[in-house]
Amino acid sequence: MLHIQMSFSVAGEEDFFLEEKRFKQYCEEFIKHSQKIGDGWEWRTSKDFADGYLSKTHFQITKRSVPPDLKEKNNDNIEQMLFMHVEESLDDSQVDGVCATAEAIRYEYHVLYSSSYRVPVLYFRACFLDGRPLTLDEIWKSVHACYQARLLEGPWDTITQQEHPLLGQPFFVLHPCRTNEFMSSVLISSRKENRHTNYITSWLSIVGPVVGLNLSLSYAKLASEQNTDADLIDRPLS
Amino acid sequence: MAEAGELLPVSPQSEGRREGGEDTQEGGAAAGTADPAPPSAGSPGTEEPAGDTKKKIDVLLKAVGDTPIMKTKKWAVERTRTIQGLVDFIKKFLKLMASEQLFIYVNQSFAPSPDQEVGTLYECFGSDGKLVLHYCKTQAWG
Repeated sequence: MLHIQMSFSVAGEEDFFLEEKRFKQYCEEFIKHSQKIGDGWEWRTSKDFADGYLSKTHFQITKRSVPPDLKEKNNDNIEQMLFMHVEESLDDSQVDGVCATAEAIRYEYHVLYSSSYRVPVLYFRACFLDGRPLTLDEIWKSVHACYQARLLEGPWDTITQQEHPLLGQPFFVLHPCRTNEFMSSVLISSRKENRHTNYITSWLSIVGPVVGLNLSLSYAKLASEQNTDADLIDRPLS
Repeated sequence: MAEAGELLPVSPQSEGRREGGEDTQEGGAAAGTADPAPPSAGSPGTEEPAGDTKKKIDVLLKAVGDTPIMKTKKWAVERTRTIQGLVDFIKKFLKLMASEQLFIYVNQSFAPSPDQEVGTLYECFGSDGKLVLHYCKTQAWG
């Protein structure tokens, strides 16, 4: 069993940076669980096998469709626009055009290690079934409702487009500047109770939902399985 | 049916001020309120047993890090309440701004997705008749 202390360079009380080796170990543990539950995560390596990353692809259905002629008009609530459009024109052919059909989007998520930030970073890309990639604006709009207020304060601090460090293709990335901060809180807290915590699992459970990526609750139990005996003894049998 | 004294969605008495370190128990209310063991099958007409068949889940909220501590920590929450709903509630209680971020954890280290229901979380992570959730005011990106 690996000790938590080995994996972090504790420069100060709140520095819980992740070393690359530890990143790989957490990813390995993560993949093992993913294979057990079949939710599709894979480990991929760069051509020289020096770097690796987690990868997952899934499809999401949007709850609204954006007729091409409306997309450019307004950066605000698109659903409102659709509603207004329907009210204005009672012509059947126009109403058909704004019928709220579901549309499938293919999301591809990658978890890479950043040696400059010393934290994991979430990269992703998304495209419609016809291959058209989502624009940055569409990505911002697809951010879960509960994060929109914060997003609107600074969308450029949140998600931007960057070149994928290993693939060289354009990907969206969730800015990692605060990762060390919030992970430190989590780790300090769980450390007090002597819990083994998978950094990747915790981190991904926090940032994933922002961009439509949810982890099964069974990942939370992954951490508990590795609790020390002392913790187990304290839990009464039901 | 008897419920623990604090398990009511009362209106906030005061905003949560930092009480310095770990949360402390409120005045006198027993921490481990004994939930009666579910009666054996075949007790018709008795009270609803505590635990799984209650419509509301007993939730204990614990602050993490520098996050303000809520004066009232124990709440009876509808099973169908989502994490997002609970986040909104805590933010209002602590008078946080809409753009400030708050995250809720189970097992102190795992954040369920915003649409996850409290009832499901209780089934997976509840013990002693309650669900312990940690919450933390933090920025998730930038």
